[in-house]
Amino acid sequence: MMPTQSQLRLRTVLFWLLPVVLLAVPLLVNPYIQFIINSILIYALITLGFNFVIGNLGQLAFANTAFFGIGAYASAIGATSLGLPWLATIPLAGIAGAIGGFLASGAALRGIRFYYLAIITLAFGELMRWLYVHAKSVTGGTDGLSLPRETFLGYSLTDDRVKFYIFLVITVLLFKATLNLLRSQVGRSIMAVRENEVATASLGIPTSRIIVIGFMWSGFVVGCAGSLFALHTSYVFPESFGMLHLIVSFAMVLVGGLGSVLGAVLGAAALTVLPEYLRSFPGMEELFFGLIVIAVLLVLPQGLASLLRRVSPIFIERYYRE
Amino acid sequence: MTNLLEVEGLCVHFAGLDALKDVSLNLAPGQILAVIGPNGAGKTTLFNAISGYVRPSAGQVRLKGHDVAGASPHEIARHGIRRTFQNGGLFPAMTVLENVLTGLHAQTEGSFLDVLLGRRRALESEREMIARARELLSLMQMEKMADMRAADLSGGQQRIVEIIRTVASDPPILLLDEPAVGLSPLARDQMMEIIHRMAGEKGVGILLIEHAVELVMAGADRILVMAAGQRIAEGTPQEIREDRAVLEAYLGHA
Amino acid sequence: MFLQLSISGLSQGAIYALVALSLTVVYRSTTIVNFGHGDFVMAGAFVSYVLTVMLGIAFLPAALLSVIALFLLGLCFSRGLIRPIRGGPHIGFALMCIAVGFVMRGIARIVWGREVLPMPSVFDMPPIFIGNLIITGDAVFIIGTTAVLLVIFFAVLALTDIGKMVQAVYQSQRGAQLIGINVDRFNDITWGVGAALGAVGGILIAPVSLLHPDIGASFLLKGFAAMTLGGFGSLHGAVIGALMLGVAEQYAGAYINSALIDITAYLVIVIVLLVRPHGLFGRKAVVKV
Repeated sequence: MMPTQSQLRLRTVLFWLLPVVLLAVPLLVNPYIQFIINSILIYALITLGFNFVIGNLGQLAFANTAFFGIGAYASAIGATSLGLPWLATIPLAGIAGAIGGFLASGAALRGIRFYYLAIITLAFGELMRWLYVHAKSVTGGTDGLSLPRETFLGYSLTDDRVKFYIFLVITVLLFKATLNLLRSQVGRSIMAVRENEVATASLGIPTSRIIVIGFMWSGFVVGCAGSLFALHTSYVFPESFGMLHLIVSFAMVLVGGLGSVLGAVLGAAALTVLPEYLRSFPGMEELFFGLIVIAVLLVLPQGLASLLRRVSPIFIERYYRE
Repeated sequence: MTNLLEVEGLCVHFAGLDALKDVSLNLAPGQILAVIGPNGAGKTTLFNAISGYVRPSAGQVRLKGHDVAGASPHEIARHGIRRTFQNGGLFPAMTVLENVLTGLHAQTEGSFLDVLLGRRRALESEREMIARARELLSLMQMEKMADMRAADLSGGQQRIVEIIRTVASDPPILLLDEPAVGLSPLARDQMMEIIHRMAGEKGVGILLIEHAVELVMAGADRILVMAAGQRIAEGTPQEIREDRAVLEAYLGHA
Repeated sequence: MFLQLSISGLSQGAIYALVALSLTVVYRSTTIVNFGHGDFVMAGAFVSYVLTVMLGIAFLPAALLSVIALFLLGLCFSRGLIRPIRGGPHIGFALMCIAVGFVMRGIARIVWGREVLPMPSVFDMPPIFIGNLIITGDAVFIIGTTAVLLVIFFAVLALTDIGKMVQAVYQSQRGAQLIGINVDRFNDITWGVGAALGAVGGILIAPVSLLHPDIGASFLLKGFAAMTLGGFGSLHGAVIGALMLGVAEQYAGAYINSALIDITAYLVIVIVLLVRPHGLFGRKAVVKV
């Protein structure tokens, strides 16, 4: 029930062909749609990172929004206070996110698991939000930070089309890197911890360290997404990183498919459009996304990716590289 | 020849109970030592204490001369000991091949960065491991199941895959917790044959918990009888069979 | 000043005790930690607000109706949303709880809008003066009601047949099933009781604080901090941990820095988990791997 050799080759071809095809997008769509597509790329990365922890590692965690905010602020602070070009702030944001991942999950090294660990990540998230507001001198408090207008190689970075190309490259790189990780001993160890931590330890695998690694990679990916977001909206302020973002993230992971890399793209593509429509009425987004999560859990718990897998084995994800 | 495993005066005390009291044993290379006794005798606790899942309150555990009492399970495993679990320790959502590959973790080369960037060292090592895993599977005639999810296998097949995963890294010491339970007689014989081959051909020292006394009598080099956390008797199958106390209390009417 | 702070601390702590106890009750029977519980508490406050302020019903009947409504909500939640997903991964339960919490929050926000709402005080009782100590009518009401409820709760648990049955289920679900207890129905009722108890907390705090749809998150964190301090899964631990937390917040806020009141709960969680993970009365919390 696995993909055949030729299907696997086709899959690799498609993986690289798709971004090439997408290069034509800015020439075909209007600015509003372009903005939405940029949002989709960012959300795909957020969902990818989040999925890594709750899907592949199987640990309930609420720190995703915190990593996103840390990345966005790191990028904004880098661009404003440190005067760095925005592009240079991307790895900075990733590393900041990874550090956040370490802080949020460090308790795992002391043997903390499951609900206790989840609660610490919740506390971590709330602490970060408190920081954004209270560390005024650095983060601009509730007013937030505004990114300076920049150009890159002569192209204006305020142009959504230029942003698209950069976002596309970053997204493809991070997706490929994540796939590399999953299809290796690292990824298998992470999933083994999810399946049966006790047995995993008996194989000589340092499970606590694996958990932290999982969180750190997630933090890196989502942190990078945060820096993209900073440029996307040109403006970073605390409200973007609140509870609402959390339920949206959960919904995207579930709709796409828990643990599925393909699902990250599907979930983001399916749901990104909605926040734009629902934003006008306070409460609608929460209600809507809450209902989506409930519906998916009841009706299609494995997400859209599972539907695609039933259509063709080419969509089945394997965790080794031959 | 040094013993692979030496346990001396091992005690485990929790919740006011002596789960293990002053248990000692030695395991030489190529030796099969069976641990038998009624439920609650402390057999699995013994395994847990040796493999690091339970901290001993007293006593020593030495693996190839190294003192490991109190270390964490993954550290102890790195000394070359592998074990199976009573309730099965497979990874249900992962495929058979992926399960076996986790068993080869210690052998795989390539740092985190190598993997991340898809560097050759990591990729080559990965391919080697996959080849080795497939080889192991075909030795047990399980190569066709390589891509099946472990959860979809039958109970007996799952046990065999667990054994394959456990021995994939050629560990010198094995702790097998009721490996034959739930298996058909044919599969059981297959299992015992695997165990004998490992001990005989590769010099693996095997500690075996087993309820099926006939299996133990026929298959083990030495038997350790436990009850209520203590060691009641130890010796060759012949000696144990003739030990009156053991006979009366635990072997029942053979 | 110390005593004054203690009184306000106990008053806050009483609310936290109800939140933490209701979380623990559900956790002990179902092993599910309701990450949406804060929003159930908010819902209790919200319903009583709607009944008293918007529909003009008197406080006591409104409170009662609110508790009943939340009990039914918990029951239906268990029956309709938890039971169907029992076969799936454990993380599914957590997601379901969170999602329902957000649905309630969304509904509250749609109705309430962006306003922050004050609720009228329950008593016009004059405060009690003991020397320098001022004990407000609200504090008396909150502490008193909570104390009575807790006494009833623990008495029922320890002394009645129903209580013994509950203890049996807490010990072992499988065992309880074997002796004929309908565990499904028990769990449904447990969810109802949990929601109802949480609602009481929300109703009690409503008259003395400003209500808005996001107060749930705060309650959840306080509830967790109380459970962590008292020992996750311990019923009396939850209550004691909650009272200690309430009091600690007041002391920290007054003697160290007022900003600390908000983050005391986080600090408690982090410190307890790093120093003594099983809290005061809990069982082993740390995995040995």
